Amino acid sequence: MLRDAVLVAGKDLRIEIRSRVGLNQIGPFALAVLLLFGLALGPDRRVLAPASAGLFWVAVLLSTILGVQRSYAIESVDGARDGLRLSGLDPAGIFLGKAGAVVVQLLVLETALAVGVALLYGARLSGALVLIGTCVLGTFGLAAVGTLYGVVASGLRIRETLLPLLFLPVVSPVLLAATKAWDEALAGTPGRAGGWLDVLAVFAVLYVATGIVAFGPLLEDG
Amino acid sequence: MRASTRTVPSERVAVALRVLGVASLVGVVATVWLGLFVTPPDEFMGNLVRLLYVHPPMAWVAFLAYGVASLASLLYLWPRTRSERFDRLAGASGEVGVVFTGLTLVSGSIWGRPTWGVWWVWDPLLTTTALLFVLYLGYLALRRVPGEFHVRARRSAIGALIAFIDVPIVYLSVEWWRSLHQAPTVLNPTTHKTYVHGSMAWTLLLGFVSFTLVYTWLVAHRYRLAELQDAQDTEGLEIALAERRAEAVGR
Amino acid sequence: MNGYVEAGYIMVLGTLSSYGVALVAREHAARRRVGTAAVEESIATSADAPVTDLTSPAPRDTPVVMPGELEQDAPGRAP
Repeated sequence: MLRDAVLVAGKDLRIEIRSRVGLNQIGPFALAVLLLFGLALGPDRRVLAPASAGLFWVAVLLSTILGVQRSYAIESVDGARDGLRLSGLDPAGIFLGKAGAVVVQLLVLETALAVGVALLYGARLSGALVLIGTCVLGTFGLAAVGTLYGVVASGLRIRETLLPLLFLPVVSPVLLAATKAWDEALAGTPGRAGGWLDVLAVFAVLYVATGIVAFGPLLEDG
Repeated sequence: MRASTRTVPSERVAVALRVLGVASLVGVVATVWLGLFVTPPDEFMGNLVRLLYVHPPMAWVAFLAYGVASLASLLYLWPRTRSERFDRLAGASGEVGVVFTGLTLVSGSIWGRPTWGVWWVWDPLLTTTALLFVLYLGYLALRRVPGEFHVRARRSAIGALIAFIDVPIVYLSVEWWRSLHQAPTVLNPTTHKTYVHGSMAWTLLLGFVSFTLVYTWLVAHRYRLAELQDAQDTEGLEIALAERRAEAVGR
Repeated sequence: MNGYVEAGYIMVLGTLSSYGVALVAREHAARRRVGTAAVEESIATSADAPVTDLTSPAPRDTPVVMPGELEQDAPGRAP
């Protein structure tokens, strides 16, 4: 299962490195979102800096949708999806691989966004360990739900509108917990973030497990 | 062939449904009559207490409906109990649940405005209910995606369970996020006992019972509608096939 | 009372009754659409009418007519 996961993740990441869609489109999209938040909330850093954790995570959530859509867009060309289905790879492995590739891309994006938040909103990045831990745990949860709903929506003609509607309400706990954990870290009290990290961990474990079980039947159906 | 499981409802089912319909109608009318005219205004809340005869039953039915939908989805996914019936039941209960969730939000908001002075507070129960509303709107959207029956059913069932797993996490994290949670007044026995009038408790109980009856009646009708729609789909296909065949022969 | 109470009751009862009425109406409409064909089909399947064997010659030199279309276009279909 894990070997298959590494195979699929490697394939997805190689495609991304070659096509640069993530770099050329999703990254700039996230940057545009950050700039728009700045415009919406005004130039006052006293407003922006305290909100930066929440804005950061909303930007991540929106980018995840694009990342997941991209992850399945590469399967839709030339019947690649059928190839995947017939490849004999373990469906759980395919799920972990695709989610893993999304995680890697999101972590890269989050690093860039964190720098953006620090520069644009004047957030002072402190408590690095908690910040990174939050990103890792939160991103696993996001990628798991995204990949799971992505395969539900991917075969359908209305996927662009269906995926965000399914995805966003489900990941609301991630937004909440990750924002709170970042708030604590940025406020200089990273020790108080522990409980929120637990929420993120439970969420990630639950949905990775659900994905491992449910991905097979969903892939077959599509 | 789907023909065996299909329509032309037996007399008994039709009669039972009609009895259920009448019972729920009588129950609701009685609740409204008691709630609006018989029970006294509350010592502290005044007439606003009358909204509490409908609001908690709405919330209860909404959660019941989601529970039934999730259970039915699970039974559909379980190979031994897989049956079209569970898919239809999940769909019917989910849809009725969304209606009741919407009513929970609206009636709560109408109560909150004069009580708290605002239409909305970020209270854990309210926030969770609002998220449940969008969560299950997503589920209904997923159900509406056309497809072969079993593909659609399995997809929807998994979608329902993904949503259902989320409910406790949403609730706990939201509650933690806003610990200014006010215990729902009616359900809190300590504040309740002191001033509740006997007729009030009975009215509330009647409200719970009659809106639960309304729920079963609505689900039963939604279920039958789904049955008919499925029958119509297969029939449409059969007719179309038959026409093609007839054409081929006629040539 | 004070307006809020009435508004709440009207919202709840109004929504539920219009939803219920809409369901029943849709059910009746669906039944009408399915009804005729369903009856034909149940007659056809309950009798020994075969699922129209296309290879065997049609009996009584009528064209092959499937149960579903008996009602709709039987008159127009002269052999």
